[in-house]
Amino acid sequence: MGSRTEEALRPVGTAPALVSGLRRFARNRAAVVGAVIVGLLVFTALFAERLMPYDPTLQRLELRRQPPTAAHPLGTDEFGRDILSRVILGSRVTLLVSLVAVGVGLGLGGTAGLVAGFAGRWVDELLMRVMDILLSFPYLLLAIAVVAALGPGERNIVLAIGIWSAPAFARLVRGQVLAIKEREFIVAAYAVGVPVVRVVLLHVLPNIVPPLLVFATLYMANAILLEAALSFLGLGVQPPWPSWGLMVATGRDFLLIAPHVATIPGLAIMLAVLGFNLLGDGLRDLLDPRLRNRL
Amino acid sequence: MGRFILRRALTSLLVALGIVFLVTLILDLIPGDPVVMILGQNATAEQVAALRRELGLDRPLLLRYAEYIGRAVTGDLGRSIMTRRPVAAEVAEAWPNTLLLAATAIGIAVALGIGLGAVSALRPNGWVDFGVRLLALLGLSMPIFWVGLVFIYIFGFYLRLLPIGGSGTPQHLVLPAVTLALPSVALIARMTRSSLLEVLGEDYVRTARAKGLSEPAVLLGHALKNALIPVVTVIGLQFGQLLGGAILTETVFAWPGLGRLVVLAIFARDYPLLQGIVLIFAFSYVVVNLLVDLAYAWLDPRITYA
Amino acid sequence: MSGDRVRPDQVSGLSRREFLGRSLALGLGGAALGVLGACAPAATTGPQSQPPAQAQPKRGGTLTIVRPIDAVSLDPTNDTTAAGGWVATNIFESLLRLDYDMSLKPWLAERWEQVAPDRWRFYLRQGVKFHDGTDLDAEAVKISVERAISPQSRAASFFRGIKGAEVRDGYTVDILTEGPYGPLLRAVSTWFMSIVSPAALQKYGQDFGRNPVGTGPFKFVEWRTNASITIERWEGYWGDKAYLDRVIYKVVPEESNRMLALQTGEADMVFIPALAQVGQFKRDNRFVVHEVDGLRVVFFGFNVNRPPVNDVRVRQAINLAFDRKPVIDNILEGNALPATSYVSPGIVGYKDLSQYWAYDPRRAEELLRQAGYSKGSDGFWAKDGQRLSLKHYSPRGRYPKDAEISEAFQAAMRQFGIQVDLQILEWGTLLNKYTRTGLDAELGTLGWTDVPADAHYTLGALFACASIPPNGFNGMEYCNPAVDELTARGRANPDEAQRGQLYAQAFEMMAKDAVLVPVYNTKETIITSAAVKGYRIHKSEYLDWLQYTWLDK
Repeated sequence: MGSRTEEALRPVGTAPALVSGLRRFARNRAAVVGAVIVGLLVFTALFAERLMPYDPTLQRLELRRQPPTAAHPLGTDEFGRDILSRVILGSRVTLLVSLVAVGVGLGLGGTAGLVAGFAGRWVDELLMRVMDILLSFPYLLLAIAVVAALGPGERNIVLAIGIWSAPAFARLVRGQVLAIKEREFIVAAYAVGVPVVRVVLLHVLPNIVPPLLVFATLYMANAILLEAALSFLGLGVQPPWPSWGLMVATGRDFLLIAPHVATIPGLAIMLAVLGFNLLGDGLRDLLDPRLRNRL
Repeated sequence: MGRFILRRALTSLLVALGIVFLVTLILDLIPGDPVVMILGQNATAEQVAALRRELGLDRPLLLRYAEYIGRAVTGDLGRSIMTRRPVAAEVAEAWPNTLLLAATAIGIAVALGIGLGAVSALRPNGWVDFGVRLLALLGLSMPIFWVGLVFIYIFGFYLRLLPIGGSGTPQHLVLPAVTLALPSVALIARMTRSSLLEVLGEDYVRTARAKGLSEPAVLLGHALKNALIPVVTVIGLQFGQLLGGAILTETVFAWPGLGRLVVLAIFARDYPLLQGIVLIFAFSYVVVNLLVDLAYAWLDPRITYA
Repeated sequence: MSGDRVRPDQVSGLSRREFLGRSLALGLGGAALGVLGACAPAATTGPQSQPPAQAQPKRGGTLTIVRPIDAVSLDPTNDTTAAGGWVATNIFESLLRLDYDMSLKPWLAERWEQVAPDRWRFYLRQGVKFHDGTDLDAEAVKISVERAISPQSRAASFFRGIKGAEVRDGYTVDILTEGPYGPLLRAVSTWFMSIVSPAALQKYGQDFGRNPVGTGPFKFVEWRTNASITIERWEGYWGDKAYLDRVIYKVVPEESNRMLALQTGEADMVFIPALAQVGQFKRDNRFVVHEVDGLRVVFFGFNVNRPPVNDVRVRQAINLAFDRKPVIDNILEGNALPATSYVSPGIVGYKDLSQYWAYDPRRAEELLRQAGYSKGSDGFWAKDGQRLSLKHYSPRGRYPKDAEISEAFQAAMRQFGIQVDLQILEWGTLLNKYTRTGLDAELGTLGWTDVPADAHYTLGALFACASIPPNGFNGMEYCNPAVDELTARGRANPDEAQRGQLYAQAFEMMAKDAVLVPVYNTKETIITSAAVKGYRIHKSEYLDWLQYTWLDK
C-alpha cells in the first residue's frame, strides 16, 4: 500500500490530529460552553452524595412547597424535600439514562447498520424496513410495552429509549458504511487480500467514529427530553428517587401556586440538553463540517 | 418514475402491515387485560370470560392479526372496547384534529424556520445569526410540555389573549400549534442555515455572482432550491413525527386528536382502537416519506432512482 | 358562604302550589295531572329540593363545566365511571333516587312494596315522557332492568341479586330477585339501572351510548369525543323544568388548566379541582367551594398470605405506626377525612372502627416485639437477621394523590424503622394484579366506592373467599367464612338497620384482623363561580344533578 492510501486509511484519532483538533475546539466558544456544562453534569452526577446538603428523600410535610430561602436555596417540593438535593441527585439519573440509552441504541442500531451496509441486497432491504417500522412506531406504546412487561424503573426506560433511538443510528451507520465501502482505499485493501473483519475494525470503524460521536451526543439530548416526557406521562423512576422529568411532572399541578417546584427541574433539563447540543455541534464542526447536512 | 412510485408504494404497504403486526404482538405481550380494564372493579369472572369471547380475545395471535387485516381492507376496523363505537368513527373524529394541528405546526415551522435560517445564513456570525442560533438551540432544548404549560399561563391567564385549552375556534389552535412547532422551527432553521452556507460557497453560486446576478436572485434562483434538499428531509421527518407525536401537546392543551386518543387507548388496553390508530399513523408516515422522496426528485433532477 | 346548601326540610307550600299551578296551566291531561298532583307526596317534584326562597332563579344561560376526562359512553349499562355518571344522571332517571342525605326517595316510581320475599312491586309515575316523545311505561322499565342485569352490561355485578322484571300492567312492574335480597331498593336506585327509551334502543342499537334518550330534565344534544358533551333543557319534562338552557361538559386533563379556566371565566364549574388551591378559592368570594364527605375510601391492602404480613401482629403494628393526620393535612391539604371504617359514613354497614388504627407507635413497637422483631442498630426492625421490608404497589392519578400518599407512607415507615419498596405501576398493569394474577407484593394502594350504598357489595366484591383472583377483586386474598356468613345473612335481610349491624360486625372482625391500612375518606369538592346558584353537591361522586341550578348573570 502506498503512503497516500496509508494516510487516507489513518483514523482521525492519532496524536497530532488530536492536539490540533483540541486547539480548534477550544476556539469555538459555544462548544466550550457545551463541554463545560456537560462536564459539570458529569461531576455532579459522580459526586452527588458529597454535594447534596440534605437527604433528598427526607420528607418534612410541614415545610412543603416553600419558595427558595437561605436554608433551602431552591425551595422545597410538595413533600417538603429539598429541591437542590433532588436536582443534584437527579443529574445522575439524567446522565445515566441518556448515556446508557444512547449506548443501547448505538449498539443495536449500529450493529444493524453495519450488517445492512456490508451485507447489502435483501439483508439490507429487510433490516431497513424493520428500522422503518420502528421509526414510525408510536414511542409511547413502545415505552409502555417495555415498562408494563418488565416493570417500571429507569433501567427499563433506558431500554425503551434505546430501542427508540436504534433506527436512527442504524441509518447513520449504514449510510457511512455505504459511503466508505466504495472508496478507493477500501477496494484497494480488499484487492490486496485484507480480510473483511480486519477492514471493518481497522479502517471502517475509525472513520465512522466522528459522525457517530456527534450523532450520539446530539441524541443524548433527545434521550433526556424523552425520559422527561415519559416521566411526565407516568412511567419511569420509582419514588422516592428523583428524576428531573418526574419532578416536572409531579410539580406541574402546583404551577400556579408554587411554580418553582416544576420550573427548576425544567430549567435543569433545558441546561443539560443545551449542553449536549452545543457540545455535539462543536464536535461536528471540529470533526467534519460536511456532516452538517446529513445530521 | 412510475415504476419507482409503484415499488415504493408496495414496500410502504409492507411496512405499514409490519407496524400493525408489531403492535398486535406487543399488545399480546403487555400485561393488562382490556376486558378487566373496562369492567374494572365491577367485573365478575363469568363476565370477563364472556366479554373476552365476544371480543375474540381468546383466539391465537396470528389468526387475530389475519382477520383484522382482512376486515380492515373492507374498512371495518372493529369496535373500540372502551366505547363500543366503531373504531373507524373514533379515528375519523380525532384524525382531522391532529392533521390540522400538525399541518399548522409544520406550516409555522417551515415559514419561520426557513425564513430565520436564510436570514441567518446571509450574514454568518453576525448578531442576527447569533440570535437565531441561540433561539434555535433553546427551542430544541426545552421540554415541550413545560413550554406548553408556561404558554398557557402567560397567554391564557396572565394576558387573557387566548383560550386555555380545548378546540373549536382558530384562537384555540394558536398556542398548541406554536408549541408543537417550536422544536421543528429550531431544527429547520439550523438545517436551512448550514445547508445554505454550504451551497453559497459552491462553484455555481460563485459563477452566478460573477455573472452579475444580484444577491436575492442568486439566493432565490439558485442557492435556495439546492439548499432545500436536506431541509426537505427534515421537514418530512418532522411532519411524520408531529403526526404521531403530538401526544404531549394534545394532553397539555386538551386538544382532541389522535395523540390524546392513543394515550387513552394504551392505558385502557383498547386493542382494536389502538390498532386502528397505529394503522393511520403508519400510513401517514409512509405517505409523508413518499412525498418527501417525490419532492427530492423535483428539487434535484440529478437524483435518480434505480 | 356556600349558601346554596338546601335543607331537605325546606319544603314550603310553595312547591305544591307551584306544581299544581303549572299542571293546571299546561292543561295537558289536566285532570290526570291534577289528580296526581293532589296525591303526590308533599316532598319534592324532582331530584332536588327547591332552591332557597331568597333569590329568584333566572331562566336561561349556558353552564360550562370542566372535568379531567371524557365519558366512555352515555349508556348507563356501558359506563361505570364517574365521568359518564356526571352527564348521564341529568339525562336519565331511575325508579328511586339516592337523595343528598343518602335516603331513598321516589322518582320514576311513586310507590313500591315488597309483595313476596323475592318480589318487589313498583307503581310508576304516569304521564312521563322520554325525550323522543314515547311514554314511560312498565314495559320500558322491564327492558331497562333486564338490560342492566344482562351479561353484556358493565354494571351487571352490582345486580347479582336481581333475576328479572315482570310487567303487571301499564304502570306497574315487578322486580324479581334471587331469593331474599335486602338491598334491592339501593341497587335499583343506582344510575346504571336508569330507565332508557326502548324506542331509542331499537333505533340506535349499539350506538345508543352516543345517542342517549331518557326522561331527565335535560336532553342530549351533541358529543365531540374528548372535547365536550352538550345537553339542553327539555321542555317536556314531567317535573320542574330546568333553569339552564344548556350545559357543556368540557374535557381539560391538566389540573392547573382547569383552575385557570375557572379563573378566566371560560368555565363556570370545575370537577376534580386542584386540592392545593382549594383554600385560596375559599377565600375568594368570586367563587364558591362546594364540599361534602364522599363515599370513597382509599387504603393500602395487605396480601394477607405473604410473609411477613401474614402475621396479624405485623399488620396491626403497621396500622398503628402510620400517622394519617399529617398526610391528610399536608398532602390532601385537608380536603379529605380520616378513614373511619372500610366503607364511608352513609353506607349501610358503616360503623366507626377508627380505634383499630389510631396512631400509637409505642403499641406498634410492642406488637412487633411480640412478633419476634427487634430494632437493629441501623434503625430498622429485623428478625433472624432479615430486615422487615415490604413491597408496595401504587397507581398514580387513579385516586386523588394516590402515589403521593403511598410515598408519604414510605417515608413514615422508614422513620419508624420499616423499609418499604414502592413501585408506581401503570393502572392497567396494577388492575391486572388485583384481579387476575394476584398481588405479588405485601401492599397495594386501592380506592373503593360502595356504589349501591350497601356494604354487601364491598364485602362480596372485595373480601369474600369467592372473590380471590382470578375470580374477583380480593387481591388481599382474605378468606374468613365468618365474614362471608355475616355478609350473606345481611344480604337476605330486608330491614336496613339489621343489615347494617350485620355488615358492621363483619367489618369489625376485619379491622381486628388488620386486613387493610385505611388512609382517607374522600371529600367531594367542586368549585363554581359565584354566579352559579342553586347547585348542591352530592356525597356520591357520580351524581351531579343540575335541575335547580341557575346562572346569576
